[in-house]
Amino acid sequence: MLPLNYQLDNTILKTMEALTLWQTEKGTVEIGKNTLAVPIKLDDQRKGYIFHGHGKLLLDTIVETQEGALGKPVESELNESFLMLGDIEEPQQHFGTATKEDLKNMGYESEQEFIDKANNLFDQFFRRTRMHSLHCCGNNDGVIFAFPNEAGKLDILIAKGSKLVYKAMNQVFVSKNGKVVLKTPTEVIVSGDNRKSLVIKRIFHGNH
Amino acid sequence: MVRIKLSEDLKEEMKKLREEITKLKEQLGEVTEREHEKRHGIYIDVGNRIRDHVEDVMESVTEGIQGELEKSIFIGPGGVRIIRQREPREEDAEAELNFPKAAEVMSALGQEHRLKILKALISGGKYINELQEKLSEITTSTLSSHLKVLEEAGLVVQEKMRGRYLITIPGRTAYKMATRITRFLERGNQECCH
Repeated sequence: MLPLNYQLDNTILKTMEALTLWQTEKGTVEIGKNTLAVPIKLDDQRKGYIFHGHGKLLLDTIVETQEGALGKPVESELNESFLMLGDIEEPQQHFGTATKEDLKNMGYESEQEFIDKANNLFDQFFRRTRMHSLHCCGNNDGVIFAFPNEAGKLDILIAKGSKLVYKAMNQVFVSKNGKVVLKTPTEVIVSGDNRKSLVIKRIFHGNH
Repeated sequence: MVRIKLSEDLKEEMKKLREEITKLKEQLGEVTEREHEKRHGIYIDVGNRIRDHVEDVMESVTEGIQGELEKSIFIGPGGVRIIRQREPREEDAEAELNFPKAAEVMSALGQEHRLKILKALISGGKYINELQEKLSEITTSTLSSHLKVLEEAGLVVQEKMRGRYLITIPGRTAYKMATRITRFLERGNQECCH
């Protein structure tokens, strides 16, 4: 199948109110009012956005085992641009046109400066991560987020119903209906819905 | 013989798990450029991939674990015996202790109400109101401050979304340790004075 033709729009919008982009019992992604947004389109239909504003990501990447809980929640402020693929209900109600003042408030001197930054993130996501041919979201309630991390790579969050995959710098977390796999730099934990679990620890040799 | 069999089964299980993790890494885009070229152009339906992959991982791995846990306990001529993964090593006792951290943990444990909170959490995660019901002698504000101390010491973790408090593995270990030391001391006193 040929790569799908995702494109970044050149219209800069802003949120007219605080929005919850995704929420389940495992986590949430929220953005504040006046967050800048550039739509991502596929065949002229909005399939996602690149946002830049003030928001937060919460994720309970915790594994419950019979011996106790492992892992810590992820709690991070979203003050940098990030990408979302997925539907926002009735977007026309939530978005307005961004002004120069809105751009300035986010630290951009011009529209082009923000468009360039959005383009870089768009390219990084669709080209470098092999995501150019993905067929995402929309009809199946799935959502994908890509958050740039300190290492210049992308932390990826994919969610659909009770299924969740989160891949960040130091962990991979997969969850479905209470069953969880968590991989950290030091161990891999697999836990079933009855809290029975298997922990495989990495053994460091020498002085590590 | 059972030990050898178990070891082989575990090796097989770990091999499977490694394969699953490799698969997961590939699907999330951690492939080398060469692999990228090989796979270039493959159609990715993220929805189906998530569903299939997560189901595959969960089913195969949890089935394996279930089997291993059941096999780990067997009844022999001497009764029920649990096969431990490794023997205690001598150096454990001589290992360097992180004194500030150890003091923080012991300090968190050194309060009767906090020990009661840990005990209440052993049976499973609880919301603050459930803890309040179980520990009615503690006021809500005191309960919250005790939970904060336990959380800072790493003995308890709170879910950000649901708000439940969970006892961590160190928390459970610390509670067991407190129980054992106390029982040991109580036994010692009885032997001494009666």
